Amino acid sequence: MNNLIYGVWNDEAYDCRQTATGKEPPRLRGLDDFAHNNKTRAFVADRGFLVFERDTSLIKAFCQYMTQAAKESCGHCTPCRVGTQCLRDMLWQFAEGKADTGILDEIEKMAEQVANTSLCGIGQSSPRALLGALRHFRSEFKPISPAQAIFQHSFIYTTAPCVEACPSKVDVPRYIDGVRDGKFDFALGIVLENYPMVGTCGRVCVRFCESACRRSMAEAPVGIRQIKRFAADQAITRDRLHFSPSPVQHDKRVAVIGAGPAGITCAYRLLLEGFKVDIFDAQQAAGGMASIGIPSYRLPKDVLKKETEDVVRELGGNFYYGKVLGDGLSVDDLLDNGYNAVFLAYGASQGTRFGIKNEYPDLDGYITGVDFLLKVYQCVENAQPYKLSGDVVVVGGGNVAMDCVRSARRLGAKNVHLVYRRTEEDMPADHEEIVAARNEGVIYHFLAAPTGLVVDNNCVKALELVKMKQTERDAKGRRNVEPIEGSLHTMQSDLVIAAIGQQVERNVVKPGDGIELDRYNCIIVNPDTLETTRKGVFAGGDCVLSPQTLVHALGHGERAAVSIADYLLNGKASVKPEYRLQDVLKKNALLKDECLKNSVVSIPRAVSPEIDPEKRSRNFDEVEHDITKEAAYKETERCMRCYRLYSLVTERELAGTLA
Amino acid sequence: MKATINQKEISFEPNQTILEAARANGIFIPTLCEYQSLNHTPGTCRVCLVEVHRPGEGMKNPQYLTSCNTPMTEGSVVLTQTLKIQEMRRFQMEMVMADHNQDCSTCTRQGKCELIDVANAVGLKQVGFHYTQGWENLKPDTGTKPVVYDQSRCIRCYRCIAVCRKIQDIDALETDGWGSTAGVRLKTGVYESSPCVSCGQCAMVCPTGAMSERDQVQRAVDYISDPDIVTVFQTAPAVRVDLGDEFGFLPGSNVEGQIIAALRQIGVDIILDTNFGADLVIMEEGTEVLERLKTKAGPTFTSCCPGWVTYAEKHFPEILPMLSTTRSPQGAMGKMTKTYFAEKRKIDPAKIRIVSVMPCTAKKEEAARLALSEGGVPDIDIVLTVREFARLIRRYGIDLSRLDPSAYDDMLMSEYSGAGAIFGTTGGVMEAAVRTLYYVVNGKELEGIEVSSLRGFENVRSATVDLGGDLGKIRLAICHGLRGTRKLVEAVLSGAEKFDFIEIMSCPGGCVDGGGTPRPKKTYIPFAKKRQEALFTLDRQKKPRQSHNNTQIQALYADFLGKPNSEKAHHLLHTHYKSRKTHNDADIPAAWEELRKQKDR
Repeated sequence: MNNLIYGVWNDEAYDCRQTATGKEPPRLRGLDDFAHNNKTRAFVADRGFLVFERDTSLIKAFCQYMTQAAKESCGHCTPCRVGTQCLRDMLWQFAEGKADTGILDEIEKMAEQVANTSLCGIGQSSPRALLGALRHFRSEFKPISPAQAIFQHSFIYTTAPCVEACPSKVDVPRYIDGVRDGKFDFALGIVLENYPMVGTCGRVCVRFCESACRRSMAEAPVGIRQIKRFAADQAITRDRLHFSPSPVQHDKRVAVIGAGPAGITCAYRLLLEGFKVDIFDAQQAAGGMASIGIPSYRLPKDVLKKETEDVVRELGGNFYYGKVLGDGLSVDDLLDNGYNAVFLAYGASQGTRFGIKNEYPDLDGYITGVDFLLKVYQCVENAQPYKLSGDVVVVGGGNVAMDCVRSARRLGAKNVHLVYRRTEEDMPADHEEIVAARNEGVIYHFLAAPTGLVVDNNCVKALELVKMKQTERDAKGRRNVEPIEGSLHTMQSDLVIAAIGQQVERNVVKPGDGIELDRYNCIIVNPDTLETTRKGVFAGGDCVLSPQTLVHALGHGERAAVSIADYLLNGKASVKPEYRLQDVLKKNALLKDECLKNSVVSIPRAVSPEIDPEKRSRNFDEVEHDITKEAAYKETERCMRCYRLYSLVTERELAGTLA
Repeated sequence: MKATINQKEISFEPNQTILEAARANGIFIPTLCEYQSLNHTPGTCRVCLVEVHRPGEGMKNPQYLTSCNTPMTEGSVVLTQTLKIQEMRRFQMEMVMADHNQDCSTCTRQGKCELIDVANAVGLKQVGFHYTQGWENLKPDTGTKPVVYDQSRCIRCYRCIAVCRKIQDIDALETDGWGSTAGVRLKTGVYESSPCVSCGQCAMVCPTGAMSERDQVQRAVDYISDPDIVTVFQTAPAVRVDLGDEFGFLPGSNVEGQIIAALRQIGVDIILDTNFGADLVIMEEGTEVLERLKTKAGPTFTSCCPGWVTYAEKHFPEILPMLSTTRSPQGAMGKMTKTYFAEKRKIDPAKIRIVSVMPCTAKKEEAARLALSEGGVPDIDIVLTVREFARLIRRYGIDLSRLDPSAYDDMLMSEYSGAGAIFGTTGGVMEAAVRTLYYVVNGKELEGIEVSSLRGFENVRSATVDLGGDLGKIRLAICHGLRGTRKLVEAVLSGAEKFDFIEIMSCPGGCVDGGGTPRPKKTYIPFAKKRQEALFTLDRQKKPRQSHNNTQIQALYADFLGKPNSEKAHHLLHTHYKSRKTHNDADIPAAWEELRKQKDR
C-alpha cells in the first residue's frame, strides 16, 4: 500500500497532494501493516519524513520527534543541548496556536544551526526531516486540531548502525560514552541491561557492531569489543561485580534447559525480575558452547564462571547439572512439577560429519570439532590426560576450526594443517583468529576439500583431498568453487578433525512433547516472542537458530525472558513495537547506505596486546589482553555516536505492546 | 600540503586540524572548550566555526565546520571571518549563554573568565532565550572538600577531566547529568572514597567559575573584625611570586613587601612567614633523614605537600612508612604559633586564629586533619588560596600595586633563610635539605651553596650528591606532578629504583604553580619558570642561605624545643598517616538508575 501523500526523503520532495507525482515515491516495507487496526499516519526519520494520511498533523509529528531528540541529547555539545530544547519549545508554541507563522523562520534558522554544527548524530540528524518539511511543505504547518490532538501518536525509537547490527541490540554508543566519561561501571551496567556475559562477549563476540561501524569509512571501525572488554574487566577481573537477589519476588518458577549463553541470559533476566529459576544442563559447569567450545586461551574459564554460574547463584538461581532433556527429563515432568514456564536452550552440540568414504563411526584418529574441543576442555579444565603428536588435519573455515587448530598446537601436535575448500578471504572465521593461528605455526591449505579417509585397521592414516578452483562470478557477484578433475591427493594425518559445523541433536524434544520442530530439528518459534507451539514453553539460541553466534544466543535469552515474564504476569507474551520497528529498519536497510559527511581527524584503532606466539602456542593461557586505560580512552574518542531517531506516527497509541 | 585560509596560501601537515593550521599561520579563530596545552579538543562548544570549500566544488557548496576537530585537506579554501560564520558563532555563543548561570557577581571568577572573552570575541550582543531546568534547583555545595563544583557555571568543556587524567593521572572525575544538567562529578560521588587528592588542577584549567576553591574569605574577614580574636596570617613561600599577577605586576614579581603592607593596612594582628616554618621543617626532616640514612631504613619521602600525602594515603598506602613524619611548614607554623609564640607573647592560644595563605587547595584539607589539631581545636584555622587572598585584599579596597613595600617586624617567627625561600619550587625542599645535611655531616657549609644538579624542570629528576663523612654519596629524586609520581613510587616499591631521599610536589611546577594560584587563561602554567627564577633570586639575596643559620630557628630550639627530633619537637612537629584506600564494588543498580534518569527525563 504505502499511500504517500507527501514527504521529503533523501532531500527529495514528493508531493501527491493534488495528483500523483511523476517521481516514483520511496516505498518502505513493513510500515502500513505495522500494527493491526491502527493506521500508520506518517514516518519520520533522519533522512526525511513520509505522510500517508491526509489529516496527519505535521507539526505534532515534529513536536513529538523533537521532544524525544531533546531527551536524547546528552548535553555535551552546545547546539544539540540548547538547540533541540529550543526547537521543541518553539514547535509546541506554534502547534498550540501560541505563536504565528513568523516563528517558523526562527525554527528553520535554529534547525539549520543544530544540524550543521552539532557534534554527534543526535543533533546532526534530528532536525533534517524538519528542515525538509519547512523548505518544501511549509503550508502544511498548522496548529493542531482537536481531532489530531486525540488521534495521533508517535512511537519513537532511537538507535544507531552498531546497535541495529547487534542481535542483542546493545546500546553501543552509550557504553562507549561511559568509558569515555570515566564511568566504567556505568558502561558495564549498560551491557548488563541486556545480558550478564559482558567479559565473555568482550573477548569472543564476532562483532556485527564493528562491521556496521561508520568509523570504518575513516580508518577502521571503533574497537567496540575491546572497549566492552575493558569496561567488563574493570569489575569482573577485580572481583568488583556482585549481585543480590531482587527485592521483588514472584512465586512463579521457570525451568531453563541449557546453561549456555541463551539459558544463562534468560535466567539472569528473569531472576532480576524476581522469578524463581532453575537451570538444567547436561554438563557439570555453566557456559554451554562458550565453556566447552571456546578454549581458555581465548576465554579464561574463571571469567566465564563469574558471568554465568556465579551471577545466577548470587541472584538466587539454582543449577542441576548432569540432567539431559529427553533422557530422564521431559517438558511434561517440568510443567507437572511446579514450573510455570520452560525455556528450551539446549543448543546445537552435535558435530557435523563430512559424509565421505571410509568415514565409519568410532574410527581412531577421526573426530568432529565439537567432540575434539570437549576433550580439550576435559584435559585443560579437568586434568583428563590428552596428548597429541604427529600431524593433525582440521577441515573447516569457521571459528570452531580455528579453535581446533590452535588447541591442537597447544596439545603438542607436531604439524597442524587447516584445510578449507574456499579461499582465505572466504573464511567465515575472524580475521584476527586466522592471523593468530598462522603466527602460531598452523599450515593453511586453501581450495582443497576432503573426499575420503585412508583407514588401516580402524585407524585413520591419511585424508584424501581434491583440489578446488573458483568458478566465474555469478549474477550476484559471488564465486563458488568446484573440484579440479584428477587432482586427488592424500595428506598424512594422525588425527583428522571435521570442524565443518554443528547440528541440533535429535531426540531431545520427543514427538509427544507437543513442540514442533523443523526438518533440521530446530524448534519452531514465533520470532517476536520465542513461544513454541506448546503453551508456556519458549525456546531460543542454537536449538532454534541452528548454530549461530554467541551474541545471537544472548539476544534470544533476553527476548525470551521478556516474553516469559509477560506470559507469567499477564498470561500472554506480547510483541514490543521496537521489535517491529527493528524489522522495518532492517528490511529497508535504513541504516546502511550512509557516507561520512565530514572528514574526521585520523586516530589509529587501538591494538590489543598479545602474548608472543613463541610463548603462547604451547599453553592455554589467555593470549589477548586488555588495552590500557589510556588506549581505551583514546579509542572511545573514535566513536561518532551515529544515533538516529525513527518515529512511527499512528492513529492510536503504540507504546506498550502490539497484538 | 597546501590550502588557503582567508586568501592566504598556507602549507600544513597531514591530519593537522584547520585550527592548528590557522594558528600556525597567525590566523585567529575564537575557541572556547579547546585547551591547547593539554591537546584537548572535546569539540563540545562548537564555537570555532569556519567556512570550508572543498576543491573542485567552486564556492557553491560551503560547509560550516568546527575548526578544532576537522582536518585540513589538500586544496581546501577556508574562510574564518565571513558574515555568515560570524553570525553562526554569535548564535552558538548565545546558546552557550542560554543555560549558563550568568550571575557573575556571585561567581569566583567575578566576570574575569574565558567565557566572557569569547563572548566579546564573537561580538555577542544579546541572549534571547534561557534554559535553566535542573541547575537552578541545585543546592550549594556546603561540604568541606577544598574544591567545589558549581554545575550552573559549567560549559561542558571537560578540561577538568582531561587535566586530572592527562597531567595528574588521578582520573578522579567523571561526567554527570544529562542534557541541560550535564556536568561533572567526583568518582564514587564521595570525596573520601574517590581518587581525588584536592590538587586543584581542575580549577586551574576551568574556563569559568565552575571548578573553584571553597571560598573562605568571609571567615577571614570575620576574624579580622573580631576585637577579641588575635588574627595571625602566614604566607607560604610561593605566594609572594604568585599574587602580583592579580594586581597587574609582571609574572614572577616578588611582592612580599606589598603583602606585609597590605596585611598591616587590613588590620591583621600578627604577620608571620611560612618560610620560617620551612626552615624549621628542614631541621626536623633533615634530622629524620640522617637517622634513616644511618640505620639504613630505606628511602625517605618528603611530606610537606598535602596533595602528595593524600595521594600516598589513598593510592599507595604501602609507601606511608617511608614518608617523613615531619609536619608541613604550614602545620609546623600552626603548632608553634599556638604554643611557643603564644607562650612568649603571653597570648591565650584560645584567642588565636591562624589564617594561612597558600598557593594550594589541598592545604585546606591538610588544615582539617585530625592529626593537626589539639583537643578539637585545629592548629590552622583557615586556609586561603592566593585567589581568595586577592579577593580579601580587594575587600579592603587595596590595590597592591599602589602600596609601598613593608618588612616583617616579628622577632620570633618571620625570619627565613634562602633555603626556606626556595621551598616553593620543585627541587627547593631537596636543595634546602642538602645544604643543612651537608653541614651536619661535615661541620662546615657546602661550598658554592647552590646544588645545580637538583635544579631543573623535568617532571622526574634524579641526582647523586656526595654528603661526605660516613654517609658519602646519596641518591636523590625529585618529582613534580602526580603522573610522574605514580611511576616513581611504583619503581621504588618494586625495587627497580633505589633512592635515599625523594621530594614530591603534586602540582606540575611545584607550589609556585599550585592549584590555588591565580588562574591563567587558555594556557597551562605559563609562568612556571619565571616564578621559579624569582625564588632562586630571593635565595641569592638572602642572608643566611641555610635553615640551620636562621637565628630565629636557633632561638626556637634554644628556648623551647631543645634540639631537632627532641621528644618535645617530636610531639609538636611530627604527625602520622593512615591508609585511606577503599574498595568499591561496581554499583550496577546505581548505573541502571542513572540510565533510567537519562531515558525518562
